Amino acid sequence: MKSTPYSLVLSALYNGKKGTRPPAGNVTSIVCHDLMDATGISFPQAHLDPQAMADLALAGHEIIGFDTVMPEYSVHQEAAALGCDVDWGNRDQMPDSRNFPHEDFSDVTVPDNILEKPSMRVVLDALSILRRHVGGKVAIVGKVMGPWTISYHMAGTQNFLLHVGLGEKDKVTRMLRQVMPVTIAFARAQFQAGADVVVIADHATGNLVGSYHYKDLLLPIHQEITSTIEGPLILHVCGNCLDRLELFADAGFDAYHFEWQVDAKVAVEKVGQRLALIGNVNNSQVLYQGSPEAVRKQVRYAIEAGVNIIAPECAIPLATPIENLKALVEAVHEGY
Amino acid sequence: MGSTQIEQVRQAVVDGKHNDIEGLVRAAIDDRIEVEQIINEGLIGAMDVVGSRFANSEIFVPEMLVSALTMKKGLAIVKPLLTETNTEPKGTILIGTVKGDLHDIGKNLVIMMLEGAGLNVVDLGVNLSVEKAVTKVEELKPDILGLSALLTTTMPEMQKVIKLLEDKGLRKSVKVMVGGAPLDRTFAEKIGADGYGKDAAEAVQLARTLMSQN
Repeated sequence: MKSTPYSLVLSALYNGKKGTRPPAGNVTSIVCHDLMDATGISFPQAHLDPQAMADLALAGHEIIGFDTVMPEYSVHQEAAALGCDVDWGNRDQMPDSRNFPHEDFSDVTVPDNILEKPSMRVVLDALSILRRHVGGKVAIVGKVMGPWTISYHMAGTQNFLLHVGLGEKDKVTRMLRQVMPVTIAFARAQFQAGADVVVIADHATGNLVGSYHYKDLLLPIHQEITSTIEGPLILHVCGNCLDRLELFADAGFDAYHFEWQVDAKVAVEKVGQRLALIGNVNNSQVLYQGSPEAVRKQVRYAIEAGVNIIAPECAIPLATPIENLKALVEAVHEGY
Repeated sequence: MGSTQIEQVRQAVVDGKHNDIEGLVRAAIDDRIEVEQIINEGLIGAMDVVGSRFANSEIFVPEMLVSALTMKKGLAIVKPLLTETNTEPKGTILIGTVKGDLHDIGKNLVIMMLEGAGLNVVDLGVNLSVEKAVTKVEELKPDILGLSALLTTTMPEMQKVIKLLEDKGLRKSVKVMVGGAPLDRTFAEKIGADGYGKDAAEAVQLARTLMSQN
C-alpha cells in the first residue's frame, strides 16, 4: 500500500494493512501558542473565520507533520447554534458558554436552518477549503458533539448530571433525543463538505459518570447515531473508560479515541479486534510538562501495544511546546 | 432507638433519598437525639461513606450530587438548632476555581462535603483572579484557601496565587490546598501548596489535617 498520510490513516481506521509506519493523528485540537505564532492565526479568529480555521488546521500537518487535519477547536459550535451565548475566548482561553438556555429541561427546538448558523457554517466551509487543498493526500477529520455533551450545554453540566442522579430518565432521555438530530445532521454535512472521517465527542467521561449510566442512557442513542450516519465515526470520551470499552464497541463506532489513563495494551487486548484505537499520549504530564524523550517513550509504548493511530489523548493545553508535538511525529516516523 | 434513627439518616444520605431526609431528621430531633450526633454520625458520616464509594468507583458524580443535595436538606433543618447550642464552626475555608477556568462541579462537591464536615465555607466562584483570591484572604483571614482547576491551561494560576500571598507576607497565615483533574501531588509540591486532594473525600480529609496544624 501507499504510505501517504491519507492512506495510512484510512487503513489504520479499519485495522487494515500496515504501511511503513503508523499514522500520527489529531482528532482533537493540537493548537498551541507556538502554532498560533508560526501561522499568525490566533483564537478567537480561528473559531469564527473559515479560512483562518482551515489554515490553522493545515499548519498541524505542514509545520508539525500530523497525518490528519482537524479544523474544529472548540466544543461549542452546536451550543452556539442552539442559542447558548458563547464567549469565544482568546489566545489563552478556550470558548465557554455564558448561559444554559434549557436549565429547566424545557423542550429544545432545533432550528430548520441549523447548519446555516455561523458557528456550524464556519466548520463546514473550513472542511471544504481543506478538501480543496489536501483532499486525498491528508486525512480530513471532522468533529461534532454528541447528545450528551450538547445536553451539558443546554441544561448545565452539574444540573444535567444531578437529574441523571435523581433517576429522571424520561427527562434526560427526552433532552438527549431532542438534540440527537443536531449531531446526525452536522456529521453528515461534514462528510459532504469534505471530511474523510468524523469524531463524535460525547463526554460521558470516566470518573464523572459510570458505565451503567452510559449503558442505560446513552448506548441506545449512540447505536442509533452510528446506524444512521454512513461514514466512518470515531468516538471521543475523556477519562478512564476502561470499564466501558466493550460498550463503545457495542455502540457501533469504527474507532475510539482514548486517554493515557487507560493502558494501551489493556485497551488493545479488550477491544482491539472490534474497534480501531486512537491515542493515547498523556497531555498534562508528558506533552505539556514533559520532555521530547518522555513523549517518544509513550509513543513507542502505544505503537508496541498496537494502538492504530498515535495521537494526543485530548485537546492539548495551549501552552504545550511545539517540540513535544514534533517529538510525537518523529517517534511515529521511526516505524513499527 | 437513637442509633437506629441515626443509621436511617445516614443511609438516606448514602442512598440519596432526598424526599425522605427531612422527615427522618425531624423524627430524630423530636426523639431528642443530640443535634451534633445527627450531624456528625448521620449526615457527615454518610458523606464519608459517599466519598469513599466515589473513590472506589462504586458511584459517580450523579449519585454524589444527589447525596450532597440530601445532606444539604438535612443540614438545613439541624443548622438553626446548632446556633442555639452555640456550636462554633470548625474553621473557615475560602475556595474557588482559578482564572480562565469555569469548571465548578468538582469545587461544588468539595464545598458540599466541607460544609457537611462542619466548616464555614466561602465560595469565591469560578474564573477567580489572583488578585481577588489574595484580597479575600486578607479580608476574611481564613484558615485555608482551596484552589481548583480542571484545565491544564489554568494550572499555572495556582502558583501565581501562592506567589502573591508570599509577596504580601500572607503565606504563613493561611494553608493552601489544591485539586482538579489534571493535578497531582508532585505539581502541588512544586508550586508550594500545603496539600493536594485527588477527590472530594480526600479534600475533606486534607482540610481536617491542615486545620489541626493551625
